[in-house]
Amino acid sequence: MADKTRILRAELAAAKSRKNVFRMVRAGGHGHVGGALSAIDIVAALYFDIMNVSPEKKDASDRDRFLLSAGHKCLAQYAVLAEKGYFDKSVLDTYGALGSHIPGHPDMHKLPGVEANTGALGHGLSIAAGMAMAAKLDKLNYSVYAITGDGELPEGSNWEAAAAAAKFKLDNLIIFIDNNGLQISGNVTDVMNMEPIDDKFRTFGWHVVTINGNNMNEILDTLDSLPYNGGKPIAILCKTTKAKGLSFGENNVNYHFWNATEELIQRAEAELDEVIAQIEQQLEVVE
Amino acid sequence: MKGEILDPRKEFGNAVTELAKTNPDVVVFSADSGKSSGFGNFAKLFPERYFECGIMEQGVVGMAAGMATAGKIPVFCAIAPFVTARPFEMVRNDLGYMKQNVKIVGRNCGITYSDLGATHQSLDDYAIMRIIPGMTILAPQDPMEIRTAAKAMLEHNGPVYMRIGNPKIEEIFDEKPFVIGEGEILAKGTDVTVISTGSTTADAIQAVHQLTKEGISVELIGMPTVWPLDKELILNSARKTGKVITVEEHYQNGGLGSIVTELLSEEQGVIVRRLGLPNAYAITCGDYRELLHYYHLDSEGIAEKITEYLHQ
Repeated sequence: MADKTRILRAELAAAKSRKNVFRMVRAGGHGHVGGALSAIDIVAALYFDIMNVSPEKKDASDRDRFLLSAGHKCLAQYAVLAEKGYFDKSVLDTYGALGSHIPGHPDMHKLPGVEANTGALGHGLSIAAGMAMAAKLDKLNYSVYAITGDGELPEGSNWEAAAAAAKFKLDNLIIFIDNNGLQISGNVTDVMNMEPIDDKFRTFGWHVVTINGNNMNEILDTLDSLPYNGGKPIAILCKTTKAKGLSFGENNVNYHFWNATEELIQRAEAELDEVIAQIEQQLEVVE
Repeated sequence: MKGEILDPRKEFGNAVTELAKTNPDVVVFSADSGKSSGFGNFAKLFPERYFECGIMEQGVVGMAAGMATAGKIPVFCAIAPFVTARPFEMVRNDLGYMKQNVKIVGRNCGITYSDLGATHQSLDDYAIMRIIPGMTILAPQDPMEIRTAAKAMLEHNGPVYMRIGNPKIEEIFDEKPFVIGEGEILAKGTDVTVISTGSTTADAIQAVHQLTKEGISVELIGMPTVWPLDKELILNSARKTGKVITVEEHYQNGGLGSIVTELLSEEQGVIVRRLGLPNAYAITCGDYRELLHYYHLDSEGIAEKITEYLHQ
């Protein structure tokens, strides 16, 4: 089990990042919160505990890379980058505004810390694989982490990347499949069933593990033990809850894209404030 | 050397391989077509920089984009429709929108695959690639330009699409550096401006020779960069002759002819005619030269069409 302090710190970062998500939703009036909130624990764990990254070395050639193949989950990335200090938090208040640096899908030329322009589904794994190939070629020791959504997997380009990553033995490529089970039209397995996802990646030559992607201990434990058997790319199938942390929206497909009201945002913030206070209390005890 | 008959794919592949000796950032992606694209030697000399991906053009474009984010200069050459039409959205987003330094090369372009059918012919690639912001489109006209364009392409920072053919072609120009965005006046004249690009220029030169003998004064512009266009060169010539005819192995819609027409649409008194293929799937029997003849894109056909235009 990962060290308790580490877990709490990452949980605190995730909770504060969730608040950042609501701040952006308030500014823009809406946003793709469902997927952002199911994936945000993973993003927070990576930036606050796992990855060799910092705002000061955002262009360092040996930095770890993170990208969202499911680019509409960008609120998670913006929220965590802001929490990590990549840019001033006031930028979060520009979400939805003309000329904003935090558009509805991430743009690497607009915001420090964003490694790729994603949004059109099925692109991210190929780009991430290319980044991982460059690391091997340059004999640099960085890893590339990418998040894909379960609803994104029917795009065939994912499987092109899956085959290539295995062939080129990209054990520095780690992808998280945000398996929240819902996409805009309903249950992922009803819309287009890609199960068993783990077996599919396994037969493509990947090392696959399944975890609870909203459990910080499991996320850190899993990432601590990387790489597994060298030579294989790694897929972490993350069982998650859509809109996790938005008590009234969890597992509700209507919150894939939330047209927010001020009243509900305040309720969500108040609930999160309690969570944050609890984590801070626990941190005081263990530190 | 001038007059030599050479294989465009080998000239291209060997040029990139030679340049890669001094530029360690150059990497090559193959989609089960590296050798056919002239990269046999590259694969032998630089196995660690040669990535055989099998037939997966969408994935290759994405991987090339990822590689380029780390400073590599990926070159991806395969049959033209499969590096343009097939992975279009990857080229648009991962190379165009991400502004990545990746070189896409469509070989066996136009109707060079005369008998393999419309699936393998590429008559829409200029149209497809030109609407991607920041994309540069090169169409070298002889083996010398293929070699020098390869160098210019690798030295240019940004996505480039280059088009090369398949059948052996004659070296028609003396050696000189390739400057992206510049055309060249190959013959001076006053009656009509002929603008040709890529594979048709050799035939256009012959056609112009023929017409000159007949007393017609033709200004011939060779245009090895399709985009961005050498506007001044065209405008100056068009103002002089008032008649412009474009020649290319591409659909009349969306190719160099369309680009030139757009440019000259606000130029009073200039009439543009576009020689190319009609917007229909090309016939898919016969050999390449026969098809060129059928579509009036050999020297005889080009001369005939120019004469027709002048007598209208």
